[in-house]
Amino acid sequence: MNDLLKAMGAASSGMHAQSARLRISTENIANADTPGFRRKIVTFEMLDPERNARAVTTGRTYTSEAELQRIYDPAHPMAGEDGMYDGSNVNLVVELADAREAQRSYEANLRMFDQARNMGTALLDLIRR
Amino acid sequence: MDLNLEILRAARGLAAYATARHAVIAENVAHADTPGYRARDLTDFSDSFRSRGDLPFAMKATREGHIVTSPPRHSADVVERALFGAEAPNGNNVSIEDQMMRAVESQRQHSMALAVYRKSLDIIRTTLARP
Repeated sequence: MNDLLKAMGAASSGMHAQSARLRISTENIANADTPGFRRKIVTFEMLDPERNARAVTTGRTYTSEAELQRIYDPAHPMAGEDGMYDGSNVNLVVELADAREAQRSYEANLRMFDQARNMGTALLDLIRR
Repeated sequence: MDLNLEILRAARGLAAYATARHAVIAENVAHADTPGYRARDLTDFSDSFRSRGDLPFAMKATREGHIVTSPPRHSADVVERALFGAEAPNGNNVSIEDQMMRAVESQRQHSMALAVYRKSLDIIRTTLARP
Protein backbone atom coordinates (compact mmCIF):
# COMPACT_ATOMS: atom_id res chain seq x y z
CA MET A 1 0.00 0.00 0.00
CA ASN A 2 2.91 2.29 0.78
CA ASP A 3 4.30 1.70 -2.69
CA LEU A 4 0.95 2.59 -4.19
CA LEU A 5 1.00 5.89 -2.32
CA LYS A 6 4.51 6.46 -3.63
CA ALA A 7 3.29 5.79 -7.15
CA MET A 8 0.44 8.23 -6.71
CA GLY A 9 2.85 10.81 -5.28
CA ALA A 10 5.18 10.47 -8.25
CA ALA A 11 2.27 10.71 -10.68
CA SER A 12 0.86 13.80 -8.97
CA SER A 13 4.29 15.47 -8.95
CA GLY A 14 4.46 14.77 -12.68
CA MET A 15 1.05 16.33 -13.22
CA HIS A 16 2.07 19.34 -11.17
CA ALA A 17 5.25 19.84 -13.19
CA GLN A 18 3.48 19.41 -16.51
CA SER A 19 0.75 21.88 -15.58
CA ALA A 20 3.42 24.41 -14.59
CA ARG A 21 4.99 23.86 -18.01
CA LEU A 22 1.62 24.38 -19.68
CA ARG A 23 1.15 27.60 -17.72
CA ILE A 24 4.50 28.96 -18.84
CA SER A 25 3.75 27.96 -22.42
CA THR A 26 0.40 29.74 -22.23
CA GLU A 27 2.06 32.86 -20.85
CA ASN A 28 4.46 32.78 -23.77
CA ILE A 29 1.59 32.52 -26.25
CA ALA A 30 -0.30 35.30 -24.49
CA ASN A 31 2.75 37.55 -24.79
CA ALA A 32 3.56 36.62 -28.37
CA ASP A 33 2.84 40.19 -29.49
CA THR A 34 4.35 42.01 -26.52
CA PRO A 35 7.32 44.08 -27.73
CA GLY A 36 10.59 42.93 -26.16
CA PHE A 37 9.13 39.82 -24.51
CA ARG A 38 11.52 36.89 -24.24
CA ARG A 39 10.21 33.36 -24.27
CA LYS A 40 10.39 31.52 -20.91
CA ILE A 41 11.68 27.95 -20.71
CA VAL A 42 10.81 25.49 -17.93
CA THR A 43 13.33 22.95 -16.69
CA PHE A 44 12.52 19.67 -14.99
CA GLU A 45 14.68 18.10 -12.33
CA MET A 46 14.67 15.42 -9.66
CA LEU A 47 13.25 16.64 -6.36
CA ASP A 48 15.87 15.36 -3.92
CA PRO A 49 17.57 12.05 -4.81
CA GLU A 50 19.68 12.09 -1.62
CA ARG A 51 16.64 11.90 0.58
CA ASN A 52 15.03 9.33 -1.69
CA ALA A 53 12.45 11.78 -2.97
CA ARG A 54 12.56 10.90 -6.62
CA ALA A 55 9.54 12.91 -7.68
CA VAL A 56 9.84 15.46 -10.45
CA THR A 57 9.78 19.19 -9.89
CA THR A 58 10.21 22.27 -12.00
CA GLY A 59 13.54 24.00 -11.55
CA ARG A 60 14.51 27.51 -12.49
CA THR A 61 12.70 29.17 -15.33
CA TYR A 62 15.04 30.55 -17.97
CA THR A 63 14.41 33.14 -20.59
CA SER A 64 15.31 32.33 -24.15
CA GLU A 65 18.38 34.11 -25.52
CA ALA A 66 17.15 33.88 -29.07
CA GLU A 67 17.14 37.03 -31.15
CA LEU A 68 14.07 39.24 -30.87
CA GLN A 69 12.02 39.49 -33.99
CA ARG A 70 12.43 42.82 -35.84
CA ILE A 71 9.08 44.07 -37.05
CA TYR A 72 8.57 46.84 -39.55
CA ASP A 73 5.78 49.22 -38.51
CA PRO A 74 6.53 52.94 -38.72
CA ALA A 75 3.23 53.79 -37.01
CA HIS A 76 4.18 51.86 -33.88
CA PRO A 77 5.02 54.09 -30.89
CA MET A 78 8.21 52.12 -30.23
CA ALA A 79 9.42 52.18 -33.80
CA GLY A 80 12.85 53.68 -34.33
CA GLU A 81 14.21 55.88 -37.10
CA ASP A 82 14.10 53.03 -39.61
CA GLY A 83 10.49 52.12 -38.71
CA MET A 84 11.49 48.83 -37.04
CA TYR A 85 10.84 47.75 -33.46
CA ASP A 86 11.72 44.68 -31.36
CA GLY A 87 8.89 42.19 -31.09
CA SER A 88 8.96 39.06 -28.93
CA ASN A 89 10.98 35.95 -29.71
CA VAL A 90 8.04 33.61 -29.19
CA ASN A 91 7.51 31.10 -31.95
CA LEU A 92 3.86 30.10 -31.84
CA VAL A 93 4.42 26.75 -33.52
CA VAL A 94 7.05 25.78 -30.93
CA GLU A 95 4.77 26.90 -28.10
CA LEU A 96 1.84 24.91 -29.43
CA ALA A 97 3.99 21.80 -29.78
CA ASP A 98 5.27 22.32 -26.24
CA ALA A 99 1.75 22.77 -24.88
CA ARG A 100 0.59 19.62 -26.64
CA GLU A 101 3.52 17.63 -25.29
CA ALA A 102 2.75 18.88 -21.77
CA GLN A 103 -0.83 17.77 -22.21
CA ARG A 104 0.17 14.29 -23.38
CA SER A 105 2.61 13.83 -20.51
CA TYR A 106 -0.03 15.05 -18.09
CA GLU A 107 -2.43 12.42 -19.41
CA ALA A 108 0.20 9.70 -19.04
CA ASN A 109 0.70 10.69 -15.41
CA LEU A 110 -3.04 10.74 -14.88
CA ARG A 111 -3.33 7.18 -16.24
CA MET A 112 -0.59 6.03 -13.87
CA PHE A 113 -2.42 7.66 -10.97
CA ASP A 114 -5.67 5.99 -12.00
CA GLN A 115 -4.01 2.60 -12.28
CA ALA A 116 -2.45 2.91 -8.82
CA ARG A 117 -5.82 3.92 -7.42
CA ASN A 118 -7.52 0.95 -9.05
CA MET A 119 -4.91 -1.39 -7.62
CA GLY A 120 -5.51 0.07 -4.16
CA THR A 121 -9.24 -0.35 -4.54
CA ALA A 122 -8.82 -3.99 -5.56
CA LEU A 123 -6.66 -4.53 -2.50
CA LEU A 124 -9.27 -2.99 -0.22
CA ASP A 125 -12.00 -5.07 -1.84
CA LEU A 126 -10.14 -8.13 -0.62
CA ILE A 127 -10.47 -6.90 2.96
CA ARG A 128 -14.06 -5.87 2.54
CA ARG A 129 -15.40 -9.35 1.78
CA MET B 1 -5.85 -30.57 8.45
CA ASP B 2 -2.88 -29.27 6.60
CA LEU B 3 -3.35 -25.69 5.59
CA ASN B 4 -0.80 -25.05 2.94
CA LEU B 5 -0.44 -21.31 3.17
CA GLU B 6 2.54 -21.10 0.89
CA ILE B 7 0.27 -20.07 -1.97
CA LEU B 8 -0.98 -17.15 0.10
CA ARG B 9 2.61 -16.09 0.76
CA ALA B 10 3.44 -16.28 -2.91
CA ALA B 11 0.36 -14.26 -3.81
CA ARG B 12 1.23 -11.66 -1.22
CA GLY B 13 4.78 -11.48 -2.50
CA LEU B 14 3.60 -10.97 -6.06
CA ALA B 15 1.15 -8.25 -4.97
CA ALA B 16 3.91 -6.44 -3.05
CA TYR B 17 6.25 -6.80 -6.01
CA ALA B 18 3.63 -5.44 -8.43
CA THR B 19 2.95 -2.36 -6.30
CA ALA B 20 6.68 -1.67 -5.84
CA ARG B 21 7.17 -2.00 -9.58
CA HIS B 22 4.24 0.29 -10.23
CA ALA B 23 5.84 2.95 -8.03
CA VAL B 24 9.07 2.76 -10.04
CA ILE B 25 7.17 3.01 -13.34
CA ALA B 26 5.17 5.99 -12.05
CA GLU B 27 8.47 7.72 -11.31
CA ASN B 28 9.64 7.01 -14.85
CA VAL B 29 6.49 8.51 -16.35
CA ALA B 30 6.76 11.55 -14.08
CA HIS B 31 10.32 12.05 -15.34
CA ALA B 32 9.40 11.51 -18.98
CA ASP B 33 10.69 15.02 -19.84
CA THR B 34 13.53 15.41 -17.32
CA PRO B 35 16.89 15.79 -19.08
CA GLY B 36 19.38 13.04 -18.28
CA TYR B 37 16.89 10.79 -16.48
CA ARG B 38 17.42 7.04 -16.98
CA ALA B 39 14.40 4.73 -16.97
CA ARG B 40 14.37 2.10 -14.23
CA ASP B 41 12.52 -1.09 -13.50
CA LEU B 42 12.59 -3.95 -11.01
CA THR B 43 14.26 -7.26 -11.73
CA ASP B 44 11.92 -10.11 -12.57
CA PHE B 45 9.73 -11.48 -9.83
CA SER B 46 10.78 -15.08 -10.45
CA ASP B 47 14.42 -14.14 -9.85
CA SER B 48 13.79 -12.37 -6.59
CA PHE B 49 11.06 -14.34 -4.89
CA ARG B 50 12.18 -16.54 -2.05
CA SER B 51 9.61 -19.02 -0.97
CA ARG B 52 10.85 -19.88 2.50
CA GLY B 53 13.47 -19.19 5.09
CA ASP B 54 16.69 -17.15 5.08
CA LEU B 55 14.94 -13.88 5.57
CA PRO B 56 17.41 -11.17 6.47
CA PHE B 57 15.25 -9.08 8.75
CA ALA B 58 12.39 -10.42 10.76
CA MET B 59 10.81 -9.36 14.01
CA LYS B 60 11.85 -11.64 16.83
CA ALA B 61 9.15 -13.58 18.60
CA THR B 62 10.72 -14.48 21.95
CA ARG B 63 7.58 -15.16 23.89
CA GLU B 64 4.30 -16.78 23.30
CA GLY B 65 1.84 -14.19 22.20
CA HIS B 66 4.31 -12.21 20.15
CA ILE B 67 3.06 -11.61 16.73
CA VAL B 68 5.18 -13.30 14.11
CA THR B 69 5.50 -11.15 11.04
CA SER B 70 7.32 -11.78 7.89
CA PRO B 71 8.98 -9.02 5.89
CA PRO B 72 8.04 -8.34 2.28
CA ARG B 73 8.56 -11.53 0.33
CA HIS B 74 10.25 -10.08 -2.67
CA SER B 75 13.70 -8.55 -2.77
CA ALA B 76 13.73 -7.26 -6.30
CA ASP B 77 16.45 -4.78 -7.14
CA VAL B 78 15.89 -1.56 -8.99
CA VAL B 79 17.88 -1.62 -12.20
CA GLU B 80 18.12 0.71 -15.15
CA ARG B 81 16.13 -0.77 -17.95
CA ALA B 82 14.82 0.97 -21.00
CA LEU B 83 13.67 0.31 -24.50
CA PHE B 84 16.59 0.13 -26.90
CA GLY B 85 16.91 3.25 -28.96
CA ALA B 86 14.54 5.35 -26.87
CA GLU B 87 17.24 7.78 -25.82
CA ALA B 88 16.47 11.44 -26.53
CA PRO B 89 19.21 13.97 -27.32
CA ASN B 90 18.96 15.35 -23.76
CA GLY B 91 19.97 11.97 -22.26
CA ASN B 92 16.49 10.94 -21.18
CA ASN B 93 15.58 7.41 -22.23
CA VAL B 94 12.00 7.11 -21.00
CA SER B 95 9.60 5.90 -23.65
CA ILE B 96 6.02 6.53 -22.54
CA GLU B 97 4.70 3.65 -24.66
CA ASP B 98 7.20 1.24 -23.13
CA GLN B 99 6.31 2.45 -19.64
CA MET B 100 2.62 1.96 -20.36
CA MET B 101 3.30 -1.65 -21.35
CA ARG B 102 5.19 -2.19 -18.12
CA ALA B 103 2.47 -0.50 -16.08
CA VAL B 104 -0.20 -2.73 -17.59
CA GLU B 105 1.99 -5.76 -16.92
CA SER B 106 2.41 -4.82 -13.26
CA GLN B 107 -1.30 -4.14 -12.95
CA ARG B 108 -2.06 -7.58 -14.37
CA GLN B 109 0.41 -9.15 -11.95
CA HIS B 110 -1.30 -7.36 -9.10
CA SER B 111 -4.80 -8.41 -10.08
CA MET B 112 -3.62 -11.96 -10.65
CA ALA B 113 -2.07 -12.06 -7.19
CA LEU B 114 -5.25 -10.74 -5.63
CA ALA B 115 -7.37 -13.22 -7.58
CA VAL B 116 -5.21 -16.12 -6.41
CA TYR B 117 -5.38 -14.82 -2.85
CA ARG B 118 -9.14 -14.50 -2.96
CA LYS B 119 -9.63 -17.93 -4.50
CA SER B 120 -7.38 -19.52 -1.91
CA LEU B 121 -9.38 -17.90 0.86
CA ASP B 122 -12.55 -19.19 -0.78
CA ILE B 123 -11.15 -22.70 -0.85
CA ILE B 124 -10.16 -22.49 2.81
CA ARG B 125 -13.58 -21.16 3.64
CA THR B 126 -15.26 -23.97 1.75
CA THR B 127 -13.08 -26.50 3.52
CA LEU B 128 -13.94 -25.11 6.93
CA ALA B 129 -17.64 -24.66 6.27
CA ARG B 130 -20.11 -26.77 8.17
CA PRO B 131 -21.70 -29.48 6.12
